[in-house]
Amino acid sequence: MTDTVKFHFDGEELSLPAGLSLAAALTTAGIRGFREGPNGATRGMFCGMGVCQECLVEVDGNPNQRACMTKVASGLSVRTQSARPALVASPQISSNPLVEKPDILVVGGGAGGLSAAAEAARHGAQVLLLDERATSGGQFYKQPAAGFALLDKQQSDGAALLDDALQSGARLLDETEIWGAFAGPEIHATRRGQAVIVRPRVLIVATGAYEQPRLVPGWELPGVMTTGAAQTLWRSYRTLPGGRVAVFGNGPLNLQVADELRSGGAEVLLVAEAAPAPWTRPGAAVAMSAASPGLARDGLSTLMRLRRGGVPVHFKTVLSRVETADGGLRATTDGAGGEVVVDAVCMNYGFQPQNEILRLLGADFIYEERRGQLICQRSDECETTVGGVFAVGDCCGMGGAPAARVEGQIAGCAAAAKVLGQQAMYNRGANLRLRQHRAFQSALWRVFEADSQDYADIAQETLVCRCESVTKGDIDGPSQEPGVEIGGVKRATRVGMGRCQGRYCSHVLAKHMALAQGRSVDERAYFAPRVPIKPVPIASVLAAQEALEADDA
Amino acid sequence: MPDERVDIAVVGGGITGLAAALHLTEAHARIAVFDAGLNAGSNANAGSLHVQLQSRFLRLYPDEAPNVEASLPLYLAATRTWIELDRWLGGVELAQKGGLMLAESDAQMAFLEKKAERESRKGLDVDILNRAELEEIAPWLGDHVVGAELCRDEGKLNPLLANEAARKLLKSSGVAIVPSQVHALEPVPDGIRVSTDAGDCIAEHAILATSWGTRALAAGLGVRIPVSWEPLHMNITEPGDYIMEHLVQHAEQPITLKQFQSGQIVIGGGWAAKFDPAVGTPEVLKASLLGNVALAAHLAPGIAHLRLMRTWAGLNTTADGKSIIGPLPGTPRVIAAVPGDAGYTLGPIVGQAAANLALGNEQQFDLMPYTPARFS
Ligand SMILES: Cc1cc2nc3c(=O)[nH]c(=O)nc-3n(C[C@H](O)[C@H](O)[C@H](O)COP(=O)(O)OP(=O)(O)OC[C@H]3O[C@@H](n4cnc5c(N)ncnc54)[C@H](O)[C@@H]3O)c2cc1C
Ligand SMILES: Cc1cc2nc3c(=O)[nH]c(=O)nc-3n(C[C@H](O)[C@H](O)[C@H](O)COP(=O)(O)OP(=O)(O)OC[C@H]3O[C@@H](n4cnc5c(N)ncnc54)[C@H](O)[C@@H]3O)c2cc1C
Ligand code: FES
Repeated sequence: MTDTVKFHFDGEELSLPAGLSLAAALTTAGIRGFREGPNGATRGMFCGMGVCQECLVEVDGNPNQRACMTKVASGLSVRTQSARPALVASPQISSNPLVEKPDILVVGGGAGGLSAAAEAARHGAQVLLLDERATSGGQFYKQPAAGFALLDKQQSDGAALLDDALQSGARLLDETEIWGAFAGPEIHATRRGQAVIVRPRVLIVATGAYEQPRLVPGWELPGVMTTGAAQTLWRSYRTLPGGRVAVFGNGPLNLQVADELRSGGAEVLLVAEAAPAPWTRPGAAVAMSAASPGLARDGLSTLMRLRRGGVPVHFKTVLSRVETADGGLRATTDGAGGEVVVDAVCMNYGFQPQNEILRLLGADFIYEERRGQLICQRSDECETTVGGVFAVGDCCGMGGAPAARVEGQIAGCAAAAKVLGQQAMYNRGANLRLRQHRAFQSALWRVFEADSQDYADIAQETLVCRCESVTKGDIDGPSQEPGVEIGGVKRATRVGMGRCQGRYCSHVLAKHMALAQGRSVDERAYFAPRVPIKPVPIASVLAAQEALEADDA
Repeated sequence: MPDERVDIAVVGGGITGLAAALHLTEAHARIAVFDAGLNAGSNANAGSLHVQLQSRFLRLYPDEAPNVEASLPLYLAATRTWIELDRWLGGVELAQKGGLMLAESDAQMAFLEKKAERESRKGLDVDILNRAELEEIAPWLGDHVVGAELCRDEGKLNPLLANEAARKLLKSSGVAIVPSQVHALEPVPDGIRVSTDAGDCIAEHAILATSWGTRALAAGLGVRIPVSWEPLHMNITEPGDYIMEHLVQHAEQPITLKQFQSGQIVIGGGWAAKFDPAVGTPEVLKASLLGNVALAAHLAPGIAHLRLMRTWAGLNTTADGKSIIGPLPGTPRVIAAVPGDAGYTLGPIVGQAAANLALGNEQQFDLMPYTPARFS
């Protein structure tokens, strides 16, 4: 196995395997509260993928470091982040920024982005791919951290895809976080303290999705995390989110992760799925098997393994509340599941597309009621309504990894043709496969169809905005003032003003306000898109400013 | 729907309209307040209570400098009005610790010294600080700052709290803001007809607290009010330790820098944004974001590791450097209430003055210099 590293957390020495993220390391050490939140509350890892901003810690005197995105290293001094960190440390920002002008820039190294990059590079375009993680692969093909072996076929398929992209001649830049997208397009990012500015001729956005929680009292407690966060702990870092686990949600990911955690040695005390059991929807189940017999079979055997392993799986059951209990968290359901006391509560109630770059660049969207998502409008070649900007995969609306891969091929090919001044070739095989994957996805979601959580279903004391501690009770009045828009509710209550930038409240609020005012939901029902896409260190902005001054001069 | 007949119609629900409405309600006038919800400056502003001459105006609009300078006593009075309003609203994080205008060279110091003299003559409480004196009150400033002008009359407040508290107070007095656009005002025998999306009402008086929107409404009455919108950029960081008590500006560069009680640092100061009326919402410009934030980091290096969390753009309203307060020539039942530059600072006093005019009350200051008739 891997080496160990020694570092300090709040002065106490910890000795843990190398290669872990700080979040995984602290979880292994049984530490769940990472930062001081609003009103003296403690907060910890929630999304595990860099969007919720709840896992902030102070590292070597630098506050606001996300534990889920930061690797452990020997000798680090890590501290609980205070609510208002001191304004003293001087950050190490290189004064030597990277300015790149590739033919094609791919943002996001998941299934869609990797295949787009590989395809475009194979066609002869000069391709750069940026990903914020240390290792590309994205959510589905999540790769093990350095030093850990591949776990299963899903990971080895991902490794092969990653390898394929590397072999294709595309350049991959890891740990590069995009914070700005401007007309041009011009993309701004930061990478290990260096400003990165990219001015591509064509942009392919492949930023994926993030997970949607159910807003219940206590969802902000340390130890409550998304199912994907728990999966990352396990698949990338061989870390269990806790000894005793309960998994709640809607959709196949929850069953899969419950099973992975169980096989990894966790005691899975409860799995609660919002949808009715698949066998109560034989029509949809048959359609799903027809579209992809293999995947449907995998799903069924996951369920059987859970059952055989003695894990209670309840259908038509949702999480209704989480509280701290003696030695853990008490999770209560509103269905047959009753309540359980566990160390980690995992939940995934669907996904929301990470479409910030696309919205900033002015792409058109329509709202799809069934998925409860903004869907990016694209041509058959996956080009958005903004010329030269393509989009593939879940950032356009949840479609699954196999579809994202094929979309990546189609967009990669079309983008390459565009920059090379060639006629794009219609890829019959790819289009056929895409149709199949989409048929599977749609059958899958018919199998798992369940009522989504509406604003009216949320309990009054629930934090709708966990960043700013705004409850449903706080929002009720202001959101029903005559003529008020979502921005007005934001200003009146601070809902959506925190570090996550409204990622966990906007879809609920947009729908609620449209309903209350008898409008239909559209892109303008959401918070206005603004840079930065994610909080960006001021020092990076400073470096970008200096770089552009030099480059434009 | 508003009453068919009211004493006073207030058009515009920004800080000026809100302040006017609060004073009118307190005087038991029957009022209707209309607001189109269109890019109110009050919803986007930074909450700086400005008093000293802003170097930005002196540089950008040198012709207006005399007007701004003549208005200095109004700014002083405006901060006193804000202190009363803060109390009335139950506290909106108002702090009057003074404003610093920084210099990075001897030439800039010389400029500030001259400016301070002029301001002192107008009754402002100003002082010139050298580096050592500055160090004592703002140790977080960058080394290259050589000195500053301190204006003790300046301060800051949280505009989001203030707007919300004012709306709540109004609501609790039974006044609901009607979310409608006013299309036209028209004199009728015994009043003013106010035509809105939600129907018409007749008012004895109408107050136009409509910032840049005043131009169109006044034009409908044949009166020229040359106000225009100016799209401006803002930035805010995540919270840090509360160490910046002052409002900070620069002798030559456009910037306002301050810290809210939340610990968040708000960076603005007149950097441009983009506004296309066809799009309807002002948009952020890259150059402004980079330039404005970089300048802030240059002046206060300690903020460099904080992360920028959000930017936005809003519409400011500029005129000729002076507020526009008073009856419209030819239609005296319609009263203009446009605060103009640093309009959030001036909004409450301008709204109060307009309310007094409508009520026929005595004024606290001479309104002549601010008359809308000056443009005719
Ligand atoms: C003092 C102060 C402090 C603030 N602090 C914070 C803070 O800490 N955190 C924070 O996040 N914000 C903060 N804000 C910003 C605030 O919430 C608003 O963002 C700001 O008032 C300006 O609004 P906006 O233009 O960003 O968006 P909004 O006020 O929401 O208005 C934008 C309009 O754009 C529309 N729109 C939606 N999508 C699009 C699109 N694609 N293209 C064009 N238009 C679209 C919306 O329908 C809406 O009408 C603060 C504001 C102030 C005044
Ligand atoms: C980014 C930014 C930062 C600023 N920072 C500061 C600062 O720090 N300190 C300071 O003192 N000032 C600041 N200002 C200026 C200040 O915000 C404005 O001058 C001030 O808020 C104006 O207030 P108001 O009530 O007069 O107008 P607004 O707040 O603009 O409100 C006018 C209202 O009238 C409504 N309206 C217009 N026409 C019609 C119509 N026909 N029918 C119905 N309704 C209508 C609009 O919808 C709007 O709601 C800033 C401005 C901006 C844009
Ligand atoms: S857990 Fe790290 S950002 Fe969400």
